[in-house]
Amino acid sequence: MRITINGRQLDVSGKKTILEVARANGIFIPSLCDHSALVPFGGCRLCLVEIKGRKGYPPACSTYAEDGLDVTTESPALQAIRRQVLELILSEHPHACLICAEKKNCDEYKSTIRKVGEVTGCVLCPNNGRCELQDVVEALKIDRVNFPAAYRNFDVRRDDPFFDRNYNLCILCGRCVRICHEVRGVSAISFVFRGSQAVVGTVFGRPLLESGCQFCGACVDVCPTGALTERASRGEALPDEEDETICPLCSIGCGLKASLRGGRIVSFAPTNAEAVNRGQACVKGRFILRDVVYSPKRILKPLVRQNGELHEASWDEALDFVATKLKGYVGKNLGFISSTQVSLEDMHVFDRFTREVLRTDQIISFRNHSPLASFWKELRMNGQPAELNFELDSISTAKVIVLSGADIVVSHPIIWVEVFRAIKNGAKLVVINGKDSSLERHASFHLRVQAGREFSLFNHLTLKLLENNPENPYSRVNGYETWRESLLNEKKAAFARADINEAEVDLAARLLAEGQPTVFLMGPSVVNSAAASANIRALWNLAQVCGGRLIPLAGENNERGAFEIFSRSSDRVLSVEEALFKISRGEYKSLYLAGPLPVPPDAAVEFLVIQDCFMNENVQRADAVLPAATFAECGGTFVNVEGRIRKFKNIIEPLGEARPDWWIICRMAEKMGAAEFGFENAAEILSDLGRTRPFFEPACHRHQGKGKAVFILDEKKGSGQFPSGESPELAPQRAAIHSSPAASARALDYYRSLNLVEESKGLRKLRGLREK
Amino acid sequence: MEEKILTKDFGLKNLFKIKVYLQQGGYKAVKKALEQMRPAEILDEVKKANLRGRGGAGFPAGVKWGFVPQKTDKPKYLCVNADEGEPGTFKDRYIMSHNPHLLLEGVIIASFAVGIHSAFIYIRGEYEAVADRLEEAIAEAKADGFLGKNILEIGFDLEVVVHRGAGAYICGEETALLESLEGKSGHPRLKPPFPASIGLFQCPTVINNVETLANVPAIILNGADWFVKKGLPKDGGTRIFGVSGMVKNPGIYELPIGTNLRKIIFEAAGGMKDGKTLKAVIPGGMSAPILKADEIDLAMDFDSLVEAGSMLGSAAVIVIDQETPILEVLKAVSKFYSHESCGQCTPCRIGISWINKIVRRIASGQGEKDDVDAIICLAENIKGKTLCPLGDAAALPILSICRKFRQELEGQLSR
Ligand SMILES: Cc1cc2nc3c(=O)[nH]c(=O)nc-3n(C[C@H](O)[C@H](O)[C@H](O)COP(=O)(O)O)c2cc1C
Ligand code: SF4
Ligand code: SF4
Ligand code: SF4
Ligand code: SF4
Ligand code: FES
Repeated sequence: MRITINGRQLDVSGKKTILEVARANGIFIPSLCDHSALVPFGGCRLCLVEIKGRKGYPPACSTYAEDGLDVTTESPALQAIRRQVLELILSEHPHACLICAEKKNCDEYKSTIRKVGEVTGCVLCPNNGRCELQDVVEALKIDRVNFPAAYRNFDVRRDDPFFDRNYNLCILCGRCVRICHEVRGVSAISFVFRGSQAVVGTVFGRPLLESGCQFCGACVDVCPTGALTERASRGEALPDEEDETICPLCSIGCGLKASLRGGRIVSFAPTNAEAVNRGQACVKGRFILRDVVYSPKRILKPLVRQNGELHEASWDEALDFVATKLKGYVGKNLGFISSTQVSLEDMHVFDRFTREVLRTDQIISFRNHSPLASFWKELRMNGQPAELNFELDSISTAKVIVLSGADIVVSHPIIWVEVFRAIKNGAKLVVINGKDSSLERHASFHLRVQAGREFSLFNHLTLKLLENNPENPYSRVNGYETWRESLLNEKKAAFARADINEAEVDLAARLLAEGQPTVFLMGPSVVNSAAASANIRALWNLAQVCGGRLIPLAGENNERGAFEIFSRSSDRVLSVEEALFKISRGEYKSLYLAGPLPVPPDAAVEFLVIQDCFMNENVQRADAVLPAATFAECGGTFVNVEGRIRKFKNIIEPLGEARPDWWIICRMAEKMGAAEFGFENAAEILSDLGRTRPFFEPACHRHQGKGKAVFILDEKKGSGQFPSGESPELAPQRAAIHSSPAASARALDYYRSLNLVEESKGLRKLRGLREK
Repeated sequence: MEEKILTKDFGLKNLFKIKVYLQQGGYKAVKKALEQMRPAEILDEVKKANLRGRGGAGFPAGVKWGFVPQKTDKPKYLCVNADEGEPGTFKDRYIMSHNPHLLLEGVIIASFAVGIHSAFIYIRGEYEAVADRLEEAIAEAKADGFLGKNILEIGFDLEVVVHRGAGAYICGEETALLESLEGKSGHPRLKPPFPASIGLFQCPTVINNVETLANVPAIILNGADWFVKKGLPKDGGTRIFGVSGMVKNPGIYELPIGTNLRKIIFEAAGGMKDGKTLKAVIPGGMSAPILKADEIDLAMDFDSLVEAGSMLGSAAVIVIDQETPILEVLKAVSKFYSHESCGQCTPCRIGISWINKIVRRIASGQGEKDDVDAIICLAENIKGKTLCPLGDAAALPILSICRKFRQELEGQLSR
């Protein structure tokens, strides 16, 4: 298709608006309400153009290119229209500075005074210098507003955490309302009132906290003006540097843009070009991450206990001290804990160090049972290959999505965004959870089931599907009949026990029979109960029968990496819960905590080393404390929930004496006389990893093509057999120690040993926890 | 001079009861359409009748129905626009309260013709008693087998639901009406896509005014040719003119389309009240550009009024006398639209509000030299530049008042 803009012939492919075509070809059309992530709105009326043969002035943002269109974007008439539209906007928007004759000289004289309550002009606006309204005024060379000021005098809303809402600056472009509604599926805000009274607000003007807002920050990021601004960076001058990194706070690994000033991080915001999060993030990455890096709890110097007191020490002294002591525990009674939020490089060094130097056959990781590891193990036991890799796109293009065991709006916000995208495209959502969450209002079915009894529901769905299918391909599989009999026999009792509504199961089964492709998302609570095995097997069977894909949702940032390094080829990994059990039986004389572990006060531990970024409850009894650098201070590699390789580089220098985890361990190993730990940077470690573990081969290429997804290697998709006719009841119950619900809730909001909920009052309120 | 099709039995007591209505030959059209005609034939007949939309824009109803896709796996909907928010307009209330079954007949025939099984009547919230009456009529029709499952035992199903609005004029605009019906705030949608393809709940939807649909039974019973002869070739039938203002007998007059405006005022409505002199007429509801006293020798049909620079709109004729200052009219118009703008787009939201501020300033005696031009400039920048037609509905009458009565207005400026 070919269109003409201002006499230029332009080729267009696909469904594009005139504005998109113009932008792609460097033709400027002023616009304010349009945003690439949103459906055209046509509200601001700045982008009006002329099209030959059409009457009036169609908006470029919401008129689609058609073959042969002849568009004019500049004419005296258009100029006049746009000027007046802008003047109207400015008549309501504090604009003293925009049209001030002294504007040019102002920068020299003004100091930064952005924390003021009332904004009367740009100089006082927290958005000064990055305001799209300023840009348009500049482009249209407005230097006069023909109307007297008619400002609206709203009170600035500061009653919510993280950001302020100053609707005096709002131009009602609707971007915030639309992103919340169209992309985040929350609809916490909306237009209220009409005509000249129109404003953006919440239901009954309640605070956002009471309106279902998730504080994802999406609205703040799309707001073209200073109406919505992050409170923490209000007082800061404009950033002088930007850098990209990966958020370490959950298994999505969002691409984030860090704004820095004078080498200090001012704020994090999602990057638009990023394939994983496509311009979205969540409250943790958007608003809390900066304070994580600069937390007052950061450990900045090595500490060593002498005469009962912790003293600052040089790295050399500290390493010597720890190395000497550790030698006494080599090969016996030593527990090593690795975080799941450190890089692959760190983990690889931990793995080698524990095997080659400490000679312990166990390593402790995963706060809870990892859905990944549990899923993989269970399928292995049943002789099935377990595919772990997937792409977020396979969620957004699914027709039916079955979600069990997680409130993904909170635990996997970006997966929720993809699920919501699918729903908008007509997909149906089935939620199988014990607890209520905000998901249900989007679900076609909410099948309630008692926690720990999910398998019952999965099995009966499977049975329903098979019996509704005249050509039941599984009817002759060995053991099918027994399986079926046992289910039918105790159906009533099982439904009663699991609190299942049979009519709903029938309807949901019908939906599952229709929908293709189907995706099953398995969250942590499905695997964190005594019924884990039965749950996984039953869900797997169900997925097989629907021809669907079962995706176990890793929780923590590098959980997949930890699984690959510690679990896939050996049995050496223990969960934190299992470790605590061992500690209670006095099996560890010495503990090396390079990851979180609440050491019980009565634990009989002789020697305790802490290698962490943050002070924590274990420090009081530690013999040595070694300051680790955060993700922001060291480069490395994460593997996200999809199996996608996420490389990041350091964006700031290590704070204080903090050092990357791998560095600490390598130097320690050297002190302990081990050879081949002479790594000087992350890249060297990665190639060592690639040499020994073929799965990581793709991670080792230094130069990944921009935009090209790189995944770690994975098992190929299974043949789709029905795993045996073995009774799915609790027979092979795993004798594991199960986490309490409190522990799994907490596991969500940590970075290393820092409890984000304790750190951030805003997060505490959002998670509905009481003030301390 | 009166030509009664819709209102012919309105004098009868209890016409709104199905028993009385049936005695007058009610539901004959439904029987004829459903038992003897195929949907395509009905569509053809309505097309040939040149029944133009009575809600304001005058779009031919048959053509509109024809836009709805025949084959679709989605449900289709009919929405009856009974929001009647246009100042000066009260004809739909008159039809619905006197003869709700006439409307229902139209609804049933239209639904049958287009293949619709759910219809909504979106009625303005203030019409509480009328809405109750409609609901009673629906219950009666259902009991008599004209609505519900298997209507007239021909296997056609139709449910009709009355939905009460919440008092916003903009919800009369068809896409805002759909939003409101979906439970959202009444904000017009961008067009295209048009409701015929993507309407209520994203499904194909027909939206028609009450009076438009109420004409359908007569077309079915008497044929398209008869209907066209009642009016004009390109604009068939009658209109219900709602005459208000300074006339002797304000009220409802059903007259052939194309009736002369002067006749409507001076014959049908009995001429000016108390010997007052005519100053101006708003011929089609508040959003129609104003006509001066010497411009009223006009045929009242869609095309003639467009030619005269105004519009037939809802056929609400508002008569203004010499003693009424034109500023009062301008004030009423600008206040109304500035209050009723939905607030979505800049020129309408802020522009009309500025016009209103300037008009108020003039009215308070503080008018400035260029104020009339300022109003014209603002209105010109609204006209044709807004997201929905409400912008035009405000700008056009304001422009006409400012241009036709500039001298009088400028006489009120103090500085
Ligand atoms: C601001 C605005 C208000 C409107 N209000 C009404 C109304 O109250 N009643 C109505 O029937 N049509 C109203 N309309 C016209 C409708 O949008 C639509 O054209 C009409 O309902 C279509 O029906 P018809 O083709 O039968 O006339 C309004 C249009 C606009 C732009
Ligand atoms: S922060 Fe997110 S959830 Fe809250 S209003 Fe903004 S977009 Fe909606
Ligand atoms: S708050 Fe910002 S994004 Fe929202 S409507 Fe106002 S200007 Fe637009
Ligand atoms: S979704 Fe996960 S990775 Fe993304 S910003 Fe939030 S915590 Fe970070
Ligand atoms: S023209 Fe007025 S009523 Fe129509 S969309 Fe714009 S603001 Fe809303
Ligand atoms: S960008 Fe097109 S109307 Fe706002």
